[in-house]
Amino acid sequence: MNPELSQDLSLLHLVFNASLPVQLVMLLLLGASLMSWWFIFIKMFALKRAQRDTDRFEREFWGGGDINVMYQQVAAERGEAGEMARIFEAGFSEFMKLRRQAGMSASFIIDGTRRAMRATYQRELDGLEAHLSFLATVGSVSPYVGLFGTVWGIMIAFVGLSSVAQATLAQVAPGIAEALIATAMGLFAAIPAVVGYNRYTHDIDRLANRMESFMEEFSNILQRQTATTQAA
Amino acid sequence: MKLPAGAPLVSRPRSRLIAGALALGVHAVFVLLLVFGMSWQTQHPAPVMVDLWEALPPAPPAAARPSKPGPAPVKAPEPVKAAPAPAPQAVADEPPPPKTPDIALEKKKAEAERLQKLKATQMAEEKARADAAKKTQEKQLAEQKKRELLRQMEEEDLTRRMADEAAASEARQVKLAETAAASKRQAEVASVVGQYRDQISAKVRGNTRLPDNLTGNPQVRCLVRLLPTGEVQSVRVTQSSGNAAYDDAVVRAIEKSSPLPLPNDRDARAAFVPELTFVHRPKE
Repeated sequence: MNPELSQDLSLLHLVFNASLPVQLVMLLLLGASLMSWWFIFIKMFALKRAQRDTDRFEREFWGGGDINVMYQQVAAERGEAGEMARIFEAGFSEFMKLRRQAGMSASFIIDGTRRAMRATYQRELDGLEAHLSFLATVGSVSPYVGLFGTVWGIMIAFVGLSSVAQATLAQVAPGIAEALIATAMGLFAAIPAVVGYNRYTHDIDRLANRMESFMEEFSNILQRQTATTQAA
Repeated sequence: MKLPAGAPLVSRPRSRLIAGALALGVHAVFVLLLVFGMSWQTQHPAPVMVDLWEALPPAPPAAARPSKPGPAPVKAPEPVKAAPAPAPQAVADEPPPPKTPDIALEKKKAEAERLQKLKATQMAEEKARADAAKKTQEKQLAEQKKRELLRQMEEEDLTRRMADEAAASEARQVKLAETAAASKRQAEVASVVGQYRDQISAKVRGNTRLPDNLTGNPQVRCLVRLLPTGEVQSVRVTQSSGNAAYDDAVVRAIEKSSPLPLPNDRDARAAFVPELTFVHRPKE
């Protein structure tokens, strides 16, 4: 029996017998896939936590408690309380500092508070959006990288075919199979990355909307309070 | 102006390790799926070798043997049964006398019965013996008949064989005669062919104009294609004399001699038609 025909076309066999450029492409795609899945899981956990913390903070904030007590609580928890709690802490501490200084107009105090909250909001949003661009890149580029590996592998398979007198399918089949593995890997890396990117950008957008609304509402509350204290 | 002491709080994702493990797990599952999926598909069925038989091999004789002895044991017990049958009866009848020794009549009766039975069995045996003798006689007769038949058949066979041999010898003789006739005919044909060959060469010789520069007695061999009527179709020099003028002269002479004289005999004609190798010399 011809050993060429009887050889097992198992996946590992194909991968280890591929030509060097195809192997490099496969390695690159494997790395990209590993990284994108890692980020997918990191983001999944982070966004879950952010949503849970935000829900809890909103429930407490609109629960009708004392704002000073709440501020003490959040300041004690520091990083554990969640994104919206940190925005609240930044805004309220700035508000307190500004109010302690004499001769400050109400609009000046509120503007300062809003700036502090916006800065914290931007920082939090940046933290939430970290690594999303990587997912986008993997999603859009890795199919092309895989395609490059496939084209290269098929080219090599056909170049090898040209030096053979009798061309049979058995001589090209392993080359094409190993080349197609590159495309498969590219798609395997790209599909979860694209799905993850779309899903997480949507989740982050919703969180950002909630934070912005909270900032506006909290500014209104602080403005009302300064107006009443200044009137009194 | 002093720099603020409290750094802003930033959330740090803490589940990096778990996420990494999960990513690795997803890839491991995928690779396992691919490896096993592919290896399942590439399992080739083991080759099977098949011997083709034109006919079934002869069955082992063990199967045939029991069938023959089978009937024998069934037949054998029959005569045996006939013989011991009276014995058990006698044995069964005998025990009662010891029980009732006073009744002599009964005893006598039993005796008589026994004697009768014995007689009957003896008669049966005699009859069986007579039957057996008859049978053996019949068998002998049958064998004799068979032997006679065989002898007759052998005789018939012999006569048939002799007849066959006679026929064969006749056929041989006929064949010999035929071959003799054929050889005779061949001789006739050969003579006719020789005759006509001479005629043809004479005719050609008559038409040949020898060139002036001819010296010696060179030989020209020509291949002449003839129609069945003797007309010359084409002439080709297959072996030149060395003198081109002479060759041409011979070719022209053959063409001029058309039609060539041909024998009427079909076998003889076969030597000339459709091709004739013609050898010409200036002098005989």
